[in-house]
Amino acid sequence: MASLSRRHLLTASSALALFAQAGRPTLAAEAPKRGGTLSVILQPEPVTLTPAANTAQPTQVVAGNIFDGLVYYDSNLAPQPSLAERWEVAADGRSITFHLRPGVKWHDGQPFSAADVKWSLENVWKTINPRDKPLFENVTSVATPDDATVTLTLSAPSLPILSVLNGVGAPILPKHLYEGTDVLNNPLNNKPVGTGPFVFKEWKRGEYVLLERNPNYWDAGKPYIDKLIFRVIPDAGARAAAIEKGEIQYAPFNPVPFRDLERLAALPALKVETRGYEWLSSLFYLDFNVEAPYLKDVRVRQAIAHAIDRDALARVVWFGYAKPAISPIPSTVTTFFDPTVPVYAFDVKKAETLLDEAGFKRGADGARFAVTHDFLPYGDDFRRTGEFLKQSLKRVGIEVTLRAQDSAAFIKRVYGDRDFDISSSYNAAFPDPQIGVVREYWSGWLGTKTPWTNGSGYRSAAVDRLIQDAAIRPDQAARIADFKQFQQRVQRDLPTLPLLELKFSTVHAANLKGLAGQGDQVYASLKNVCFDDAAKVN
Amino acid sequence: MRRYLKRSMFQIVFVILGIAIINFFLLHLAPGDAAQVMAGEAGSATPEYMAALRRQFGLDQPLGMQFLHYMANVLTLNLGFSFRQGMPVAQLLLQRLPATLLLMTTAITFAATVGGTLGFLAARQAGRITDTIISAVALLFYATPVFWIGLVLMVVFSVLLDWLPVSGMASIEAGHTGLAYGADVARHLVLPAVTLGLFYLAIYTRLMRASMLDVYGQDFIRTARAKGVRPHRIAVRHVLRNALLPIVTTLGVQLGSVLGGAILVETVFAWPGLGRLAFEALFARDLNLLMGILLCSSIVVVVVNLLVDLAYTVLDPRIELS
Amino acid sequence: MLLLDVAPPAPALRTPRNGLFIRLLRRPSGVSGLLLLALILAMAASANLFYPGDPLDMVGEALLWPGADPAFPLGTDMLGRDLASGIFHGARVSLLIAAVATAVSVVIGTAAGALAGYYGKRIDAGLMRVTELFQTIPPFLFALTIVAILQPSIPTITAAIGITAWPGLARLVRAEVLKLRHGELVQASIALGASDARIILLHILPNTLAPIIVSTSILVASAILTESSLAFLGLGDPNVVSWGGMVGAGREVLRTDWYVATVPGIAIVAVVLALNLLGDAINDVLSAKDRP
Repeated sequence: MASLSRRHLLTASSALALFAQAGRPTLAAEAPKRGGTLSVILQPEPVTLTPAANTAQPTQVVAGNIFDGLVYYDSNLAPQPSLAERWEVAADGRSITFHLRPGVKWHDGQPFSAADVKWSLENVWKTINPRDKPLFENVTSVATPDDATVTLTLSAPSLPILSVLNGVGAPILPKHLYEGTDVLNNPLNNKPVGTGPFVFKEWKRGEYVLLERNPNYWDAGKPYIDKLIFRVIPDAGARAAAIEKGEIQYAPFNPVPFRDLERLAALPALKVETRGYEWLSSLFYLDFNVEAPYLKDVRVRQAIAHAIDRDALARVVWFGYAKPAISPIPSTVTTFFDPTVPVYAFDVKKAETLLDEAGFKRGADGARFAVTHDFLPYGDDFRRTGEFLKQSLKRVGIEVTLRAQDSAAFIKRVYGDRDFDISSSYNAAFPDPQIGVVREYWSGWLGTKTPWTNGSGYRSAAVDRLIQDAAIRPDQAARIADFKQFQQRVQRDLPTLPLLELKFSTVHAANLKGLAGQGDQVYASLKNVCFDDAAKVN
Repeated sequence: MRRYLKRSMFQIVFVILGIAIINFFLLHLAPGDAAQVMAGEAGSATPEYMAALRRQFGLDQPLGMQFLHYMANVLTLNLGFSFRQGMPVAQLLLQRLPATLLLMTTAITFAATVGGTLGFLAARQAGRITDTIISAVALLFYATPVFWIGLVLMVVFSVLLDWLPVSGMASIEAGHTGLAYGADVARHLVLPAVTLGLFYLAIYTRLMRASMLDVYGQDFIRTARAKGVRPHRIAVRHVLRNALLPIVTTLGVQLGSVLGGAILVETVFAWPGLGRLAFEALFARDLNLLMGILLCSSIVVVVVNLLVDLAYTVLDPRIELS
Repeated sequence: MLLLDVAPPAPALRTPRNGLFIRLLRRPSGVSGLLLLALILAMAASANLFYPGDPLDMVGEALLWPGADPAFPLGTDMLGRDLASGIFHGARVSLLIAAVATAVSVVIGTAAGALAGYYGKRIDAGLMRVTELFQTIPPFLFALTIVAILQPSIPTITAAIGITAWPGLARLVRAEVLKLRHGELVQASIALGASDARIILLHILPNTLAPIIVSTSILVASAILTESSLAFLGLGDPNVVSWGGMVGAGREVLRTDWYVATVPGIAIVAVVLALNLLGDAINDVLSAKDRP
């Protein structure tokens, strides 16, 4: 009978799934259809395709398909086997051992081995990768007793390492192609060779990146899609049109303006997905230049915090695709988040009182003082947030002059010359605040003029100590306690004002399956994805 | 004639040098440098990375040294390397030049022929309803922002009617070659060329109309009419020929601005042209790439101006080339 | 006007200036152009009367359609700002930018073109090289660069547009001047011993008015549109409301709430229409009464 044989098929396939690695995301009940070309939005165009020194979004989106990592992160942000089948962390945190999967090959046919991991650690993660450098600082030696085992020995524990081990977090490059070359300028960076489910085919600048199915992929049977085309479409309206027409079937990271998102979500042929970003946990914040004349006083900064209605901001400017934030660690990072931090509720009266106390009374024309706001030049959402800020502060007597500029001028102004009052930016918090959050507050960055670090100019010995302590503690509970204290302090001092936890969305064709299942899906490969009708097979 | 050409060569060199100097100082006056852009785009950076970038781009040298190095490259026609795009500039230019030329020549041909014809008609029917309608429609096309027209055309013809593709130059998924590829590109060319063309069309319509009306007001036309020459013959043989001078000038100006004029259209339709590339080069403070594009542009402009000057002598024998 | 120095003056019924204005009013295009322009100027002048306060204030619910709420006859944008207030106040900004930028372009362009065309030889060569220099750098890109260097604000945008838009006009004027320079009128004037300045100002320039006027109306429209394009690319002045900025901001909701970009767009079309009608009428009047 039909139903019996179907149940048979179900049982068989689930048995197969159990036989394979544990913890893999289970697919739809029917066997996935093979074939097809998947067109993806790539916005903006990346500078390079190798995440060795580049942690920007478009690079990661493409690289996640070409490079495998030691692990991937599931929806609960727990590491799951990828190139590493299993791993052990010593109790004192001073050694980590990875047992690698056998039989994996690079796209050029050479075998993948522990030597590649060792080389990548020593020449990429510890040196040129800005995210990994501080995390792998304490690794004193890497041992490879055999081709499938890698053991890291650390002078002091570095637990955050376990949160950055995926393909883009700790990219493993082929030693045999990179050894002896200048890694940053190796032409292979734009024609990458990895072990992942898709092989690089072509990059036509200004137009597209073409990847093709890896026939020798270690995860047998995958990927299901034959070709991946990443298309560069600079205009948001054109992107919306392309998605609506079906010319694009997968578009992560808010490809279209919010209003269009609502409209596209209502179409039967499209779906909007908000899962897959859990690994990132992006947070949007304002940097106050604590050396600027008016913002020196913490009461002024707290007054500004009270003057902004975050709920209205999330609703009006971000169309509900954001949640008011109260701490630099977003609420989605549940392990470390401290909900008891000092909260600055929307209270115009309180704001005015604080400003009066700080000595800035209203003048004859109603204004107390004037500041400038340099908003992040990465899109209209940030500009509109700036306009919202201008209106909010006007109400309490602070005149805000908005300054528009391109990103080169913005970086020079905010991080180079520090010629600003209030700036805006966003960053990813990751599952461990050591990876991204602390960059905003650690005083060691001051004077280096490095973009996206400590924009406010904050200097607190106590906070520095908390950060440095947490970096090397072997005991996670103690680290959590450190970070809870960290949040209390920085939210009291308020050099930076966390505004919103951003909720990114992906728009995709309704017949595209296999998209949810990983916490780092947007930066991972599309190997589990398939079209569940035959129409798309090329 | 030979002296004129020799002097023209001289002048090309002058223009190129002038452009090179302006380019250098403009990009150095603009706040922020290429290293800051790349570090910013990388999403995160380290001081060592930025220092390495500066060394690579030669930005750590004193300004005078950078200028001499740059001028030496220009004089030897060494276009250099674009770090932002990761390719030699010459290669990048060759890659994008065909797309740009295709878009611009199609758009301008469409605009000049259709616009010129409409302007001719409007002048012949001056003061009557045809004239009003043509002028109003031309005006409408001119006054509406190019990106608005582009997006509306895209929505109507691509999304709602599904006659044409949304953006890009070709459908890579289909993998066409040869004639099929040509047809595919042609289909992708329609919307961007028309969008751009509609903008220029208004200019040609109005200019042709104004120019023809201007000539109509002159004595020799009155004479011809008094002689009994038919109106149609007057329009074509006498008025048109003399009215063409400003048209030719404008054509020259537009052909010259070929490379920059299409920035918006190329952005909306994701057309891989030099206009958008120049815009990206500016934002990335990519000195070499911007110089390369401006060099291309300058050669085109000077050559076109030369041709325009020669055309003047043909159209009006009273004009001598000094 | 054309034949003042060569033919005996015709009995003067009116002076050229008055005659021009009156003759303009006789034409439907002249009347409509003047009326429309007057209306728009009145709008700009009365902005503070009808809409006191800052057009940037978020006063209503976001994305209200025109007519949905009588308090906001033209609706609101995505931040709840009154579009009608924006149109009135934006008129000032956009017209100011356009007027000043065009004035700058016309002065530079006409001067360069006239001098080049009249004197020829070295002066022509020199001026034409400079023109080519400015022409080679694509005007929009040039304006972008200047705004990027100087940071976007009304004065910088105006300056950028003004100093990048004149090459076309210069070449047009030069072409016309070249034509006239070798024509009978000028030869006769030179023979009569008129000074260069007199010839240029009294005989040549008035005859080049037709292309200058047409170009002026094109330049004004172009200035408004360039400002809008700069806003589209993220480099408009964020502290004021201009029509171009409104169109640029409205493009994000073009599919769903198309009135946000269209209402200011219509305003732009209206002002360009007015200027062109006026330009047409002036052109018609100046090029005499001959009709085909």
